[in-house]
Amino acid sequence: MKKILLVIQREYLTRVRKPSFWILTIVVPLLLALVYAIPIFLAAHSIEHANVMVADESGVFMDRFQSNDDVTYLPAGGLDYAQRQLREVDSIDAVLYIPARFNTIPTDAFLYYRSDKPTTQVQKDVDNQLQVILRDKILLDVHNISSDDYALITSTTIRLHSLDLETGRDGFLEVKILLAAILAFIIFMAVMMFGSQVMRGVAEEKSSRIVEVIICSVRPFQLMMGKVTGIGLVGLTQFLLWLFLSAIAVVGIQTANSDLFAQAQQQINITEVATKGADAAAQMASLQNQGVASELMQGLASINFSAIIFSFVFYFLFGYLLYASLFAAVGSLVDNDTSDQQFTLPLTIPLMLPILLLPAMMKAPAGALSVWLSIIPFTSPIAMMFRIPFGVPFWQLALSMVLLLLTFPLCTWIASRIYKSAILLYSRKITYKDLFSWLRTR
Amino acid sequence: MLEIHHITKHYGSYCALNNVSLNVRRGSIFGLLGPNGAGKSTLIRIINRIAVADSGQVLFDGHPMTDDDVRAIGYLPEERGLYKKMRVAEQAIYLARLKGLSYREAEQRLRWWFDHLEIADWWNRPVQELSKGMQQKVQFVVTVLHRPPLLIFDEPFSGFDPVNANLLKDEILRLRNEGATVIFSTHNMASVEEICDDIALINQSRVVLDGSLSEVRQQHPDCSLNEIFISTVARQQ
Repeated sequence: MKKILLVIQREYLTRVRKPSFWILTIVVPLLLALVYAIPIFLAAHSIEHANVMVADESGVFMDRFQSNDDVTYLPAGGLDYAQRQLREVDSIDAVLYIPARFNTIPTDAFLYYRSDKPTTQVQKDVDNQLQVILRDKILLDVHNISSDDYALITSTTIRLHSLDLETGRDGFLEVKILLAAILAFIIFMAVMMFGSQVMRGVAEEKSSRIVEVIICSVRPFQLMMGKVTGIGLVGLTQFLLWLFLSAIAVVGIQTANSDLFAQAQQQINITEVATKGADAAAQMASLQNQGVASELMQGLASINFSAIIFSFVFYFLFGYLLYASLFAAVGSLVDNDTSDQQFTLPLTIPLMLPILLLPAMMKAPAGALSVWLSIIPFTSPIAMMFRIPFGVPFWQLALSMVLLLLTFPLCTWIASRIYKSAILLYSRKITYKDLFSWLRTR
Repeated sequence: MLEIHHITKHYGSYCALNNVSLNVRRGSIFGLLGPNGAGKSTLIRIINRIAVADSGQVLFDGHPMTDDDVRAIGYLPEERGLYKKMRVAEQAIYLARLKGLSYREAEQRLRWWFDHLEIADWWNRPVQELSKGMQQKVQFVVTVLHRPPLLIFDEPFSGFDPVNANLLKDEILRLRNEGATVIFSTHNMASVEEICDDIALINQSRVVLDGSLSEVRQQHPDCSLNEIFISTVARQQ
């Protein structure tokens, strides 16, 4: 027991002391913070203002363009003049040219931009305005619709709310799918990353031949499990640091933009109070008036985070343990770095399967495919993590967890048999036949 | 100290050791000789309990060898390596602790050895910065650090320059004089003649010559050890 602790200690310390560990530890929360901060920053500050000259030969559009925070529309005499301006004057960013068509409404417009200043922002704004102006033109001028009717037509939209039958509240499926996919992907990345660290570690010990010395003082099983545990603890440490640093980053961003968040929070509180009443009609009424931003935040608020954190730790831990010992076995088969492909494939295929099937699972998170993948042990850590945010029937969750708990010792047993036989075997091509014969012999 | 009785070992259909019996006297240096592929390394692995014999047994101090006895062995394998990225001292202390030494004990002994071999400035260097010969020196220290009563060296001199090979030879003799029993396998006949008390020649999985160095010399009065080796091996083929 003391020896396995020594092995764990070595595996853990040599990895945690590497600069690459700390770089990864700091970079991931930084990236996360950036992803989180950029939309907020953009919401608060419009990045760049653009000036567009409009050369409208049709006469339908020019005076109807509305300048706004992002784009200012300026009239231009003709295309030639406007193009010259674009070339020579720095403050002009694009030229919109709408040629005239005899007796009909124009069907094409052209936006000139300078190749050193490409802009998608202007393109989007121009496109939106062109469609609106054209619709208005047809409704008001061609069909002579009254301004009351016009207001009715343009303001009428219908929003679809998908409601959970039990709670009568919006299920926020989009938000949950996003969260679910992220969770599934994190589990996949973690198992893959730390699993292959185990594999490389074992292969390094074998190819540097240090294993022959170590195996005299430590049993092969102790060495293998020491490595698996040590690297697992490195993974856990990294996760906790990520969680901690990300929390700091998020709180930092929120305090830096406190006014923006206070607004969103207020809106959530209003709808929360309204939806708490049991009256279905009142609930529906309250659902009818909310912005998209608050919808996202409300979606997040409606998710059971303690269940997610608990199952995340469970599936990360046992998903990793299930695969790590098998990765160790594959590492022990390596003779030189190139020949290990045939043995890594049977491991990476079941690991990647749920990720490859994610689009299909997104369509029906409780469909047959999702349920089966979330119960079969080799795919369950990723597939079940995908299903958790939607809520999973208790028996399925229990079955999935029990099967995983039962499979993990079995895999470790198989892996240790292979590892024990292969770790000291050099200069011989190992085949699948060898693997099976090792499993059968004592 | 170590009695090897009728050891046979097969790898699949290939016979690596065929009914091998040897006796290693306490406090002696035992030379295990033989051409490449004769089965020396397999025998050493069986003594170390890394490999399991098909039949036969190994007695250590008169009793069948156990896992605890393996801790009393210092083993320097022929194909040897270290963790490349770990620091020299840290690694040596780790390996010594796996053999059962406390941290403090391991560190003190390592300091002594590093001073003794005049390599104290390697202490904090990563292993990968050392040359192959320097790494071998560290490996030698790691092998003897826990003061095992039985030392097994598989081709200890390969990779050493003559100066360091000589240094190593003196250290092996000194350890023997301090009471250790040494088994070493080699092709290097000169080193055998200089330091071995007993020798055994293994060829094609069998012991073909066995006895004290002086006995073997008496049986072949006009030959050098090298000639005895070559003629014995040639006679079998």
